[in-house]
Amino acid sequence: MREMEQIIILPYRKVLQIAWQGMRIRLLKTFLVTSCIALALAFLTFIMCSNGMVEQLGERASEQLQQRLAREGLLEQLLSTEQRSQTAWMLGIALMISFAGIVNAMLISVTERFREIGTMKCLGGLDSFIVKLYLAESLFQGTVGTTIGIVVGVVLAYVEGLNRFGSEAFQLLPIVTLVQILVISFVAGVVLTVLGALYPAWSAAKMEPVDAMRSEV
Amino acid sequence: MASDHIISARDVKRRYMMGEEVVWALAGVDLDVHRGEYLSIMGPSGSGKSTLFNMIGGLDRPTEGTVIMDGHDVRKMDLRQIAYLRCHKVGFIFQTFNLIQVMTAEQNVMLPMTFAGVSDEEASRRAREILERVGLGKRYDHRPGQLSGGQQQRVAIARSMANDPDIILADEPTGNLDLKTGEEIINMLAMFRDEFGKTIISATHDHKMLAASDRVVYLVDGKITEIKQRHELKIEQGGIADKKAETKLSGRQ
Repeated sequence: MREMEQIIILPYRKVLQIAWQGMRIRLLKTFLVTSCIALALAFLTFIMCSNGMVEQLGERASEQLQQRLAREGLLEQLLSTEQRSQTAWMLGIALMISFAGIVNAMLISVTERFREIGTMKCLGGLDSFIVKLYLAESLFQGTVGTTIGIVVGVVLAYVEGLNRFGSEAFQLLPIVTLVQILVISFVAGVVLTVLGALYPAWSAAKMEPVDAMRSEV
Repeated sequence: MASDHIISARDVKRRYMMGEEVVWALAGVDLDVHRGEYLSIMGPSGSGKSTLFNMIGGLDRPTEGTVIMDGHDVRKMDLRQIAYLRCHKVGFIFQTFNLIQVMTAEQNVMLPMTFAGVSDEEASRRAREILERVGLGKRYDHRPGQLSGGQQQRVAIARSMANDPDIILADEPTGNLDLKTGEEIINMLAMFRDEFGKTIISATHDHKMLAASDRVVYLVDGKITEIKQRHELKIEQGGIADKKAETKLSGRQ
């Protein structure tokens, strides 16, 4: 039997072009998913930043500020063990919201396109093309959403800080801690988004096209 | 080995698990499809016609048996070979059109060519040419949402022709269309057989389809019960004879 030819592998440029067009036309959906990611990350970053500020009150706040806070009974309250366990809870909840929110949003946006995945496979699309397409899409949405979310979260944290601690809020958070928070948030946001999209996309790509087109989600 | 048969199915079986229960959607089917013929697969729903259709098109793999397409055993192909087959050898048309919603008519037709590695300029030129042929020359820039059902199906036909395949597989292509539009679609498929020598295989329970078919395969409970040639069909077309055939068929369910 003569050799059977194989389909070519599309260059990345082509995949990006198709992904970009899809997101542009589905603008409202892209926007909704991206804002969902942004919202989750804003919450997470906000919690981490304001916790970071409170933790440093004892060391980095000026005498004046410490006295004022002590007078108002705030210092004691902020540094109490009760408050600390509450803070840990908040952080846990923020993480959970980010995880559930992002993964859920990506899962829905991919599963509602199972038929499209099946169709593309019928036309000669490779599994790897489908995975790359959704990788490109989710990387974009993840990066944009996460970046917006982080900016909003940090700004809100400083607004709250200014409100509670005055202009000293800017000194409270050491640069190293801030960078740490930014890196953790960014990685968490992008990784969650990509995984949330790739898992369903990969499982749909692996299906026989008929099964992908038939599955109602 | 240029066989007269573009597709040969031998003892094809397909098993599905419905919970604990084992269901044989195809219980051993033998079928040869000739080059350039218009073959209709008829049968009540649940008869396994869609399953057979999917097997023939390489959209699904048989549990047992072999499907040879153009000299190649579909079961032995790897992923990239199957993708090549779907891209170059077969064009698909679906009951629900299955156009990519975010793409224009032109881009939908271009997609299989993109998968085949054709340059954008060339793909665009060919896409417009084919769209012109199916009567949508002016609507190349419309997206599926802006087209009627019949127009969408014509875009789908244009897409199935994109890489000039030997076989066009149409799964209930008229199922979601009104009588007149359905007839237009059938005529279009017949035209591709006559003018370009394409092999058309269609799963259907639309009796209009019979008029265009060269052969009709009747499938009941996962088995072929009879195969009728065109001249045998003519006798039964229309009127009471057609009704009789219908009751005979449904009586067997």
